[in-house]
Amino acid sequence: MTAGAAREVVVTSRSPADTRAAGRAVGALLEPGDVVVLDGQLGAGKTVFAKGVADGLGVEETVVSPTFTLAREYLGRVRLVHVDVYRLDRVQEFLDLGLEDLAGDDAVTLVEWGEAVAAELPVEHLEVRLALPPPASDGDGAFEPDEERELTVRFQGPRWLRRAEAVRETLTGAV
Amino acid sequence: MLLLAIDTATPFVSVALGDAGAVRCEVRLGTGRRHAEQLAPAIRYLCGECGVGLDQLAAVAVGTGPGLFTGLRVGVTTAKVMAQALRIPVVGIPSLDLVAWPLRSSRRMVVAVLDARRREVFHARYRPVPGGLQRDGDYTVGSPADLVGDLEAAGEDVLLAGDGVAAHAEAFARLEHAEHAGAEFAAPSAAALVELATRRVELEEFEPPWELAPMYLRASDAEIDWERVRAGAR
Repeated sequence: MTAGAAREVVVTSRSPADTRAAGRAVGALLEPGDVVVLDGQLGAGKTVFAKGVADGLGVEETVVSPTFTLAREYLGRVRLVHVDVYRLDRVQEFLDLGLEDLAGDDAVTLVEWGEAVAAELPVEHLEVRLALPPPASDGDGAFEPDEERELTVRFQGPRWLRRAEAVRETLTGAV
Repeated sequence: MLLLAIDTATPFVSVALGDAGAVRCEVRLGTGRRHAEQLAPAIRYLCGECGVGLDQLAAVAVGTGPGLFTGLRVGVTTAKVMAQALRIPVVGIPSLDLVAWPLRSSRRMVVAVLDARRREVFHARYRPVPGGLQRDGDYTVGSPADLVGDLEAAGEDVLLAGDGVAAHAEAFARLEHAEHAGAEFAAPSAAALVELATRRVELEEFEPPWELAPMYLRASDAEIDWERVRAGAR
């Protein structure tokens, strides 16, 4: 196995239910202090994955997109702080959320659109990227709603690299 | 002269009543990151137990950081609001100065180090001078490894103080010619805040409340490049 492969896991989700199951599998492994960063274009399923993570953390409340509130908090097995930076214009506004105080070492933090503030993210984090398949190239013009998503999970930082095998196992088992 | 001193730059909530430059009463809560809930009740308890009414306060002093983001906002805002409502002066003193000040009798360079989270520390260096300490260089945020490297290169005997030292013990263990002042000197000192702020009030060196601001050191003017981010998401 190459070093590159060890640093990431790629699975294919065939439906929102699959995406949620993947989130649930990841959520079940999360511990206080963990940071999960979610990227992928609008409609890729970031919030669906987040709902799954909340399931895995034992959150019973319904998770909704925090786009307009910037941050939402949920109580589960571990406290979950769900942040969306999509409404922000400046990096300072992300710093102004005071995430290290808001979440700290006793909560799991989930950041949607984290790449926008990549330089301000902690070194240790789990990167989750949801990608839509490329447009069909057979040229017959027929439109088929495609629910397939490529889900890439990258392990950032030595602590996550050590947990890579456990994440890989649970993810490939879930989807 | 009665002065109320507030420091919320670390996980501690610290409030003290100073009388003529010395601490008369002090309350310190170390439950961590509950500044917003605890600060006002701590002030009420402190003043109540000391039999001091808010109208007797001559000034309010606050540690301005660098330190915990939310803690600083709570502490500095409370100090500003009290100063304006009570029509008394407010004085801000950097929290790193408050870590270093109790060690002013050291003959070595004092390095104040506060944990900045995200594997970084806030730090500043001080040289003992007759009557106190003189800061040598800027207030800085950076990795403990960089700080250790700089101190190694300087090759001087140093005294390390502040919660950043224990939080990054591995990095600092490498450093020769260094002593750690210990847990007693981990947080900004309320006594130092009372003493330094009282001097400033006596010299009438205070700033308008609306100009007092926390020292974050991590300020970023950068705009988020959404075009790039959205392109990457495809």
